[in-house]
Amino acid sequence: MEYLANGSTRSLMEKLAILSDAAKYDVACTSSGVERQGTGTGVGNCLKMGICHSFSSDGRCISLLKILMTNECIYDCKYCLNRRSNDVPRAIFTPEEICTLTMEFYRRNYIEGLFLSSGIVNSPDCTMELLCRTLALLRGKYRFQGYIHVKAIPGADGELIRRAGFLADRMSVNLELPTAEGLRLLAPNKHRKNILGPMRQIQTGIQVNQNELTVYRHAPRFVSGGQSTQMIIGATQENDYQILKVAESLYRKFELKRVFYSAFVNVNQDASLPALPGGPPLLREHRLYQADFLLRFYGFEAEELLDEERPFFNVLLDPKEDWAVRHLEQFPVEVNKASLEMLLRVPGIGVKSARRIVAARRSAKLDFQDLKKIGVVLKRAVYFITCGGRLMYPLKLEEDAIVRNLTEKEDRIRLGSDGMTYRQMSLFDDASFADGLHKLPLSQVPPDRRRNVRKYDCLPM
Amino acid sequence: MIAYRCEDSPECIFTAIYRAYEEKCDPRDTRICLTEDPLLFAEDRPVTVEEEKAEKVLRTLRRRFGEEDLQSLCLCLASPSEDKGQAAYRTIAKGLGRGCRPGHLFDDLADPDVHKAFALARGAGNELHHLYGFLRFQELEGGILYARIGPKNDLTAFLMPHFADRFPEENFLIQDEPRGLCGVHPVGKEWFLVQSGQIFLRAGAEGESIEERGTAPLRQTRERLMFSAGEEEIQELFRCFCRTIAIEERWNLELQRNLLPLRFRGYMTEF
Repeated sequence: MEYLANGSTRSLMEKLAILSDAAKYDVACTSSGVERQGTGTGVGNCLKMGICHSFSSDGRCISLLKILMTNECIYDCKYCLNRRSNDVPRAIFTPEEICTLTMEFYRRNYIEGLFLSSGIVNSPDCTMELLCRTLALLRGKYRFQGYIHVKAIPGADGELIRRAGFLADRMSVNLELPTAEGLRLLAPNKHRKNILGPMRQIQTGIQVNQNELTVYRHAPRFVSGGQSTQMIIGATQENDYQILKVAESLYRKFELKRVFYSAFVNVNQDASLPALPGGPPLLREHRLYQADFLLRFYGFEAEELLDEERPFFNVLLDPKEDWAVRHLEQFPVEVNKASLEMLLRVPGIGVKSARRIVAARRSAKLDFQDLKKIGVVLKRAVYFITCGGRLMYPLKLEEDAIVRNLTEKEDRIRLGSDGMTYRQMSLFDDASFADGLHKLPLSQVPPDRRRNVRKYDCLPM
Repeated sequence: MIAYRCEDSPECIFTAIYRAYEEKCDPRDTRICLTEDPLLFAEDRPVTVEEEKAEKVLRTLRRRFGEEDLQSLCLCLASPSEDKGQAAYRTIAKGLGRGCRPGHLFDDLADPDVHKAFALARGAGNELHHLYGFLRFQELEGGILYARIGPKNDLTAFLMPHFADRFPEENFLIQDEPRGLCGVHPVGKEWFLVQSGQIFLRAGAEGESIEERGTAPLRQTRERLMFSAGEEEIQELFRCFCRTIAIEERWNLELQRNLLPLRFRGYMTEF
């Protein structure tokens, strides 16, 4: 392709610097969901749980070689660093260069595989063709059997997407913004229809492939790690409830493996985008991930966590604590008797500890000390559980008292509720926090929350 | 009280367990000790490794508890704790006693011994998973991949199958520096473990090959080990990648430290 010749003056190092820098805002960096043993030839295998190979200085995991094919782009999305109207250094990898990098990094155990995305060069078809050619080279000539995550380019031909699907382990189409209106505002060249189209195609492809696999065990696998998507949080005016509803329907209607949330970083200082003096809305992103996990693994529904009246997450309490203190009529639950579903709804009890409780109580009556061994976070759980009909120590099972105990005094004061006059400040009247939540900088995120921010990126599935 | 005195290896502990059953000891009144600390009123019985007995125990454990729980037991025995033998023995005795089904060996976490074994296995398993990711190979002259590790638990035997499956066509070495243990994988052959002192690199006719005899022990020549021609450049490329992939606005070194503890970094290319 003639176009490819342009970038060839840059060294590999320069290209890698430019094209990994351009890819860094993409968050979907997991290597999980595929279990594939090595074949005894070639290079590579995959583990179901995924592997994090390093962590960069923003605390995000480095699992895949996350790069763009090129940062040339014919589109002009307002939020994007690589938009046409920006004057940034441009580069393009040749398929050979990507293969060399992937293989050499993989051999040294730097990475778990390749994450390949791209700006739109010439046309969506041309770009997708390039991606396909790269993957084919990597899987064919280099016999690479590690993990590959590739972006489906919206607007590309269905056949190209199908071909990529047979070469990759996971595909994703970025939803970018939760609503069609937001998309029209900020990404004038992208259309909701073009994004949902390939998403549906991949979903259908996976279903068809499942059927084939039940009949022919060795049939080629199509996107065996499922598909994911990502949304930018805080660039437009959507509230948390809308975002969570969108995520829920994506899980239900499109059977996505993951929806990723990316706190908006204002790289272009564009007039139509919100200024974020306090940095990206990290706490909001964190709360969305927490809620997302509640939807997928804990049997919650979006309506239970948020609704039209209170469309934003609580700043001080995580969504599960928030739900629990609003439903004190269902608590405390007796650990030795409660169903798995109910245990999962107790703050401080996760999926693993709930399963362990159910297994352990078969052979012994559990006490609070046993729960501690099992891994329950008693600091949070103690207000919601009994062991053998007893609370751990005498407690006031009342909304105000529990919230006061679950939150740190310094946070309450900083966030406008001093703890003594908690009721008057009305924590649950989230409208008063709505503005704050958008703009809450990392320095104001309660410290014990801050530690967790972002760990959700690389969790399995 | 009977005390079986073992050396610190899974084979020896399994042999001791076999003997405890063979000699019809009551699990409640038997200890498996890895140290020489004297026990009052205890009858000491020294144990030497007997491959056959260890193999039999392994087979029974696999049949009764399943592959997954056996893996957990082995991980428990890879930990540096001195109580691991006793915890594993009691856990096994209880599991066999109540006739538990595969996958349910560690169910009874309220029991202190089971919990101890479970906690040790979990710790070792977590570190193993970390090392799957954090281990770094360097390419030596002749295309041999060489990695150094320094884990708390004795994990080389667990790392080798993973990497042998991943790189069937590579010669590679994984060296556990503090323990002086080395896992070797020659192309097309089974991997094996050796003490580092016994491992030698030898230049062959077609590139270098790994052999068990030669001229200079690896440990002493590490400073003199030569990187292959492209190695430095690839390392620099990866460092560059790690630098550029971080988002400045989200800078969070505390989180990075939590997820990637400092003790691993000495062995990693990018730090």
